Amino acid sequence: MPTSLSNLVLAAESPIGPLTLYHFLFVSAAMFAIGVIGFVSRRNLIIMFLCTEMMFQAAGIALISFGRYHLNHTGEVFVIFVLTIAAAEAALALALVVWLFRRRATLDAAAWGEMSG
Amino acid sequence: MFVWFAAIPLLPLLAAIFCCLLIARRNKTKLPAVLVVGSLALSFAVTVLGFWAWIDQGKDPINPQIYEWIGVSWGSEPGQSLTAQFGFYMDGLSWLWMLFVTGLATLIALYASEYMGHDVGKGYGRFFAAFALFVFSMACLVMGDNLFLLYLGWEGVGLCSYLLIGYFFQKPSAVAAAKKAFIVNRIGDLGLAVGIFLIFVTFGTVEYGPLFEMVRLGVDAAGRPLDGRWQEWVIPCLLMIGAFGKSAQFPLYVWLPDAMEGPTPVSALIHAATMVTAGVYLIARTMPLFLLDDTHFALTIVAWTGTITALLAATIGMAQFDIKRIMAYSTVSQLGYMFAGLGVLTSTGACFHVFTHAFFKALLFLACGAVMHGFAGQLDLRKLSGVQGMPGWRIVGLTMLVGCLNLAGFPLITSGYFSKDMILAQAFTTPGDTIWGSQWIGWVLLLTAGLTAYYTFRVYFRVFVGPQHFEPGDELHAEEDSHHGEHGEDQAEVHGVGKSHEHFHPHPPGWAINAVLIILALCSFLAIPTYFVMPEHHGWAGSMVHSSTAIVESPGAHHVEGADAEHLGTFLGYDPHKAMYYVSGIVGFLGIAVAFFLHLAGRASAATSRADALLPMLGPIPRWGQNKWYVDEFYEAVIRLPLWVLATLFHWFDQLVIDGLVNLFGLLPRLFARAIRPSQSGVLQGYAVGMAGGLAVVLIIVLIIMGRGG
Amino acid sequence: MSTLVSLYPLLAMALPIVGAIIIALRPAERAHRTAMGVSIGVLLVVFLMTTRFDWGSGATYQFANSFAVLPEMGVHLSYGVGAVAMWLVILTAFLQPICVKASKTAVTEDHRSFYAWLTALQAPMLGVFFARDLVFFYTCFEFTLVPMYVLISLFGSTNRKRAATKFFLYTFTGSIIALAGLIYVAHVATKQGTIPWNFDIDALAAAARGMSLSEQSWVLLALMCGFAVKVPLFPVHTWLPLAHTEAPTAGSVVLAGVLLKLGTYAIYRFVLPFVPLAVVEYAPLIATICIVGILYGGLICWVQRDVKKLVAYSSVAHLGFCMLGMFALNMMGGVGSVLYMINHGLSTGALFLCIGMIYERYHTRSMQEMEGLAKAMPVWAFFMVFFTMASVGLPGLNGFVSEVMCLLGAFQSGANGIGRGGTLGNLGPWYAAIAGSGMIIAAVYLLYMVGKVVFGPLREPGGHGHHQDHGRDAHATDPNALPRDLSRREIGVLAPLALACIVLGVFPTPVIRTLEPSVAAVISHSQIAAKNAISARPDDSLDDSLIVGVARAESAEGRP
Repeated sequence: MPTSLSNLVLAAESPIGPLTLYHFLFVSAAMFAIGVIGFVSRRNLIIMFLCTEMMFQAAGIALISFGRYHLNHTGEVFVIFVLTIAAAEAALALALVVWLFRRRATLDAAAWGEMSG
Repeated sequence: MFVWFAAIPLLPLLAAIFCCLLIARRNKTKLPAVLVVGSLALSFAVTVLGFWAWIDQGKDPINPQIYEWIGVSWGSEPGQSLTAQFGFYMDGLSWLWMLFVTGLATLIALYASEYMGHDVGKGYGRFFAAFALFVFSMACLVMGDNLFLLYLGWEGVGLCSYLLIGYFFQKPSAVAAAKKAFIVNRIGDLGLAVGIFLIFVTFGTVEYGPLFEMVRLGVDAAGRPLDGRWQEWVIPCLLMIGAFGKSAQFPLYVWLPDAMEGPTPVSALIHAATMVTAGVYLIARTMPLFLLDDTHFALTIVAWTGTITALLAATIGMAQFDIKRIMAYSTVSQLGYMFAGLGVLTSTGACFHVFTHAFFKALLFLACGAVMHGFAGQLDLRKLSGVQGMPGWRIVGLTMLVGCLNLAGFPLITSGYFSKDMILAQAFTTPGDTIWGSQWIGWVLLLTAGLTAYYTFRVYFRVFVGPQHFEPGDELHAEEDSHHGEHGEDQAEVHGVGKSHEHFHPHPPGWAINAVLIILALCSFLAIPTYFVMPEHHGWAGSMVHSSTAIVESPGAHHVEGADAEHLGTFLGYDPHKAMYYVSGIVGFLGIAVAFFLHLAGRASAATSRADALLPMLGPIPRWGQNKWYVDEFYEAVIRLPLWVLATLFHWFDQLVIDGLVNLFGLLPRLFARAIRPSQSGVLQGYAVGMAGGLAVVLIIVLIIMGRGG
Repeated sequence: MSTLVSLYPLLAMALPIVGAIIIALRPAERAHRTAMGVSIGVLLVVFLMTTRFDWGSGATYQFANSFAVLPEMGVHLSYGVGAVAMWLVILTAFLQPICVKASKTAVTEDHRSFYAWLTALQAPMLGVFFARDLVFFYTCFEFTLVPMYVLISLFGSTNRKRAATKFFLYTFTGSIIALAGLIYVAHVATKQGTIPWNFDIDALAAAARGMSLSEQSWVLLALMCGFAVKVPLFPVHTWLPLAHTEAPTAGSVVLAGVLLKLGTYAIYRFVLPFVPLAVVEYAPLIATICIVGILYGGLICWVQRDVKKLVAYSSVAHLGFCMLGMFALNMMGGVGSVLYMINHGLSTGALFLCIGMIYERYHTRSMQEMEGLAKAMPVWAFFMVFFTMASVGLPGLNGFVSEVMCLLGAFQSGANGIGRGGTLGNLGPWYAAIAGSGMIIAAVYLLYMVGKVVFGPLREPGGHGHHQDHGRDAHATDPNALPRDLSRREIGVLAPLALACIVLGVFPTPVIRTLEPSVAAVISHSQIAAKNAISARPDDSLDDSLIVGVARAESAEGRP
């Protein structure tokens, strides 16, 4: 078990020098944060959906990074699962979005506030 | 071997069932009457045969049992099982009652077959079904060999009384009267039921045979002596309450006058001759239990209640104008005599009075019924006069006279005179330290005898003799209906409307009514000789009582002379039994004379009489008497209304408080939900922020914990 | 008993379930006939059971069998029928065809789901009486709620949704509390026993009796909280009038006839044998609640204007008598109480049927709108008065025997000092005397109802009743149109009930004798507890012959 995040180089050759796990996780966290912010701040259903996809990918990067870090393929396997499911889900979600659009002629998420308590 | 007695109750029961079948088949003939009269006559015949058989085998109680009605057991020790057989306990008391019950029922059913003729095809079958069912219930009451079977009969007669009082069920007053009768009776029934429970718990049995054997020995089921235990006076007090309800004694008498809403034959049979004497039967039957208590606590109450009832009802009866109601109050009053008789320790006198009263009171009611029938429901004595002189009414008038003489206690030629004398004389004889104030009871009863003679003859002198006059009652359609028997009810109503009084002809009774009246009048005379046979038991009725559980060694019964007679009461220093022959005769004469003076002599019209001149002198008293001393109103205000208010309060309490609390508990989750409801905004981003925030919180907690852990 | 015979209970339970599925699948026109066939089939099975039943030894389980469901958890599908359960099974099977028959014209839409649910309801009801395993019992006990909920909420009258919800939530909440108590008992049993969990009712009872008084008292509280709602006893009764008034006629009949009996039966089955110490200790309190219910419920009946609500409230009063008898803890009260369950089911069920027949004709239950219907409907009036009298407790009809036995039981209970007819217990004459005044109140409110609805000048509810005048013409064309008075079918519905009322009133003893061993086994524990409670006091002079049922319980081989 490595003792530090920085002492194991995951990718040696890059413009900014050797990349450690820390870098990858930073990217992942940043993508996730962008996704969250995008999801929260935008009201267009498709954009919001894309933001969720971005969060998925952020999680995927984290998983792959850890897989590489632990020198096994578990993370990659998981990412394949996630991608598969995300693909199926994207088909479903986009279909729903299209259907919702047909009903109200808008993609504004605020148009569907029926669950308001 | 004696199970063929079972035919006595079963024949009427079968008749009742057949009547129901006939109703179901929409029978529109007089067949129900034929069935019922026939079965009752057979039942009477069986009773007579059984009676002879009973005498032949030596007058011991016969105790045949048919099947086990209720049986529970929880051990083999005595008192650890309850058995109520459907069986009979036939001793003198049962036979005495059954003889006049079945006999009178037969006659009155015959009378009713004509009287109820208007209702053939309508309520005719229903009437006779209930009538027969009544006789069945009464037979169970009287013949039953245990207190549960007595209770069955007791409530059964109550049911039939309910059904028959409410016979004209479209009349609100009849329905109300029926309801009142049942409910007031139920109050008494509760006393009886609790009394039976206490008897069972104390003696471990409700069957007469073993029960009275234990009472004779003065022990309870465990063989322990009963001396001075509280059950000795509580049991009779409870039984007494039951008797007061059924026999219309103060304070539970209020149902009986209202019960006159029923058809007259019903009033005659149930509310005069038989059912209302069930209370007397109960006390006579359980006399040993009453005598257990050396202080005679319960019997003193019985005596005084009877006395007060006799006086109270007589005063009300004096002020009434409805002749059937007068008869009803006279029944209450006479029942008071019977209870007073039981109370002053002459069960013989009480039972003899029941016996004679049954005939003459049935006679009086049936005669009044004939008048009512003939004059389209008219019962107001101010609107009828001189009926006896009208064509076809002679028999009714004469038999009415016989009945009135009996009720008034006319000396020597009436049975009512002898039976009433027995009670009066015993009241004076019984020492005051045995029954508290028995002398006073005697005086009050003597006064009541005078009042009785007065109000009885007030009816006779105003309605049956004097100038001829009548106004028909409001039941003209019934009149019309009987003339055109083929017409339907609706048509009859049309005809009846607008009929003026001039076209009305009273229609005198037919052969059945007249025959029954004559037979009853004869019977009331035939009851006289029974007083003189078997002098050692004070008459035939006395001999019957003597061979039953009702036997009481009444003080002075054997006319003891000398030292033993010292402690007995006297009538102003004379032997009460001898003095009473004269005194009560004189009192009766006086009452009749006053009635003659006030209501017949010098009367020119039906509506007024000399008595009217007397009224202003009495102030409001006659009005109070006519309003029954406002006892009904008192009960309404003190019992019914508060209970009703309480019920209403309970109703609202149930709706608001109890159900309100339940609803409040149901509301709590809803209130909580309402508190957290705003968090569900319906905005997608809101949920996302919540999720992210939640995640952040979790992360921070994890970080803190990790930080702590190093 | 052979294994084949032990399949009867399973058959009786399976028939309604299969029947309900068939009804749901087949066309609506056949629903009534199929439901009738199924209910008759169950009746036949139950009839066969009664012929095979050994009435002499009612304390032992018969038709008994056990299938392991989750043996590791101690859950078995084990069943068996004692005498008390047998009679209640007979009642259930007897009422079912009557309910189905009575619904023929009452239900106007969605026949399939009505009859399917009505038929399905029978299975869990029977299961409650058959069960010998707590989990099986409880499952059935709760599962009765579902069909009933549907029947009320789909086929009830105007306020049906609220009534159904209240019925479900109220009784369900109560049962959960009872379940908590029972699980606690199972937990205690586990601590004593060798196997991890055991839900056999008799094993649990034996374990529960070993608990201390304070433990028993808490269990008693939990059980009574749950089952008293179902009975219902006084303060927790308010769901009943609402559910009864809103339910369809058949629903009311089943509710009054069987569902309420699940509560009383559960108390008989769990409370009395499980916690005898606490039962003896708190019998006066429970009896007081019963008496309050008798008087309070009775008085409320008197001011009702809705005739169905009146009868519903009368159930509160009536079951007060039933529970009073049960907590007398002696043979008289126990047998009376069981008889009361049967009799109340018959007479109150019949009253609901009578009222339903009026409702079908006039579409109102208000006593202010109708009067004197005897003139228009003499046959109906006969039955109405008859069942009223049965309900009032007229001797010769069924109600009397059970009412008097319950009261006498309460009177005897603890009256062992008064005389030989007294038994051990913790009530006494005053309880019976005060409860007895409920007999007067019963007469007051029932005769008030009869006097208003049956007797008096005829007044048919306006508007609705009018078209009924042409009922005979319509009758010729529409086979389902109702005549003014009862049709043959309706008479056929009421007549068996009337007959049963008479038979049970005139020949109650055979029934009583079959119940004796079973009741003796249950009350023997309370009797012993009562004796010990009294022995603790000074100056006692008890002899053992007073203890009821011990000898019987020992002689009967089986467990209670």
